[in-house]
Amino acid sequence: MEKRLIKKDVLAGIVGKLAGDVNLFAPVKDEDNVLFELVKDGTTALGSYKNTKNAPKAFFFPRSETLMRYTRKEKGMEFSGLGEGVSGRTVLFGVRPCDARSFAILDLLFDQDKYKDPYYIEKRANTIVVAFACVKPQYSTCFCTSVGGSPTSTEGVDVMLTDLGDAYLAEFFTDKGADLLKYFGDTTADVAAEKKKDEIAEAAAKAITKTIPAGEIKPWLDANFEHPFWDTIHKKCLACGTCTFMCPTCHCFDIQDEVKAADGRRMRNWDSCMFPLFTKETSGHNPRTSQKERWRQRFMHKFRYYVDMFGPIACVGCGRCVMSCPVNIDIRKIAEDISKL
Amino acid sequence: MQNPYVPIPVVVDKIITEVDTKDIKTFRLAFLNKEDEEKFKYIPGQFAELSVFGKGESPIGIASSPTQKGYIEFTVQKAGLVTSFLHEMEEGTHMGVRGPLGNSWPIEFLEGKNIVVVGGGFAFTTLRSLINYMIHEDNRKRFGNITVVYGARNPGLLIYKDELKEWEKRTDLNLNVTVDKGDETWKGREGFVPAVCKEVAPSSDNAVAVICGPPIMIRFTLPVFFDLNFSKENILTSLEMRMKCGIGKCGRCNVGHKYVCKDGPVFSLAELDKLTKEY
Repeated sequence: MEKRLIKKDVLAGIVGKLAGDVNLFAPVKDEDNVLFELVKDGTTALGSYKNTKNAPKAFFFPRSETLMRYTRKEKGMEFSGLGEGVSGRTVLFGVRPCDARSFAILDLLFDQDKYKDPYYIEKRANTIVVAFACVKPQYSTCFCTSVGGSPTSTEGVDVMLTDLGDAYLAEFFTDKGADLLKYFGDTTADVAAEKKKDEIAEAAAKAITKTIPAGEIKPWLDANFEHPFWDTIHKKCLACGTCTFMCPTCHCFDIQDEVKAADGRRMRNWDSCMFPLFTKETSGHNPRTSQKERWRQRFMHKFRYYVDMFGPIACVGCGRCVMSCPVNIDIRKIAEDISKL
Repeated sequence: MQNPYVPIPVVVDKIITEVDTKDIKTFRLAFLNKEDEEKFKYIPGQFAELSVFGKGESPIGIASSPTQKGYIEFTVQKAGLVTSFLHEMEEGTHMGVRGPLGNSWPIEFLEGKNIVVVGGGFAFTTLRSLINYMIHEDNRKRFGNITVVYGARNPGLLIYKDELKEWEKRTDLNLNVTVDKGDETWKGREGFVPAVCKEVAPSSDNAVAVICGPPIMIRFTLPVFFDLNFSKENILTSLEMRMKCGIGKCGRCNVGHKYVCKDGPVFSLAELDKLTKEY
């Protein structure tokens, strides 16, 4: 693996140069929010930020995406081509390790042996993920260490930048990441820098004091699909779906058709298990009749079903759902409460 | 990389109105490209997404048998946006099909066994596929006795009427068609499916029961088969759920960690017992 040490004041120059060569998305201040935006002339990519408001999953799995187009012919609407596809190399610059881990977790679903999702896979293959290690927890709601991650996790990361105080350490984990080597000069990292990085990683992990028993509750979840506890968490839920839209690993979608005159497109849009219509069948039958069943599904999907299907918990501990729920439903508390049952 | 979301173009070759109420039709679809027909290799029990550009898609069990060459058939009840559009279509219309999807009736497991097929109402489509597959001259000797119990509310609601007449003539198929209530022309059996199963009393010896129908029929039929000593491993059924992608990604048809679209729709009662009760 290649490693480079770069002076702190050259990073802005690297970002500028990259922005000229590829589609570079980096955290940018947008009113009171920090969002991933395309860096172009006049955009200031932030060097210091906590995390972006929205999870960057949208780069691979957009909120709304054209799957294919079709046009009216004499005997019915006929296929006329796929969606936009990708154009030009993309670099996501400054992804936090929790969000990068979400890519690795979503890969398990979208890139399975039998059914591959070409839209997701194409965008993933075309995009280089440059992550910024968290040298300290960004928020009091961070709990990545409880769900298999860490503030310096490299899962889903092509290039990792770590702030060593006086310089940045850049580590290139993948071939895709190594394509960016030329931007990072030729000062290789010495042993002292390595050591410093390890110390920072250890201190950062320790600084996350909030832990939840995310793995420990799996046996309870396996045994308690029916339990009075499930009646206690959903009552204040507004079914707004914010938690699922903010979540870096939530991936449920709907497929809809849209026609204007002779042309139409089939698109997929984010959907949410929090919505009553999500599972409602044409007959009127709905296997999940109330918000209780929907909340149980959301929690079980993350902490039980995904684990059974693929191994990891489908939560990266970013805390977005905790921060954005309008009625303060806290997934950490649910896990804690279950562990006490 | 093959794109599993792009439907295969087909032409509506033939439309058969199955029932007196005219809300159940069978659509015979022929592939517009010969190579698609060769690639579309399916097994009874599988389904496909019927795809109408501009309207959407609807997951429907394949009603034809792979032994029937040159076309595939789907029997569809008029219910929602897509199926209502299908019912308005004329022969010759072009549309799409995505599939085959899902697992299937477990043909290898069924081989060498006596098969009891129980169907109610219009949930007879993939059972019809299975029956036609088993009684095909290339396959018949691979299966033991075949007993069929099929019922509908009244004679006008029986589907595949011509085929039922053909099956009636066969000596290698024990066919029992029943209606809840007959009319002046009905000369056949009257009675509910569970009662007829009890009367026919198929032996559970080396036998598998394959049961599809409305929930109320299933509820009263299962005890009959338990009384006949069928094990839960040897009772199979097929689930329905709302689906979109059909390939285990969009996240709405799961029962616990199993996706009905990809791990199902066919499950044994023993398998269903292990799943969460949410379907």
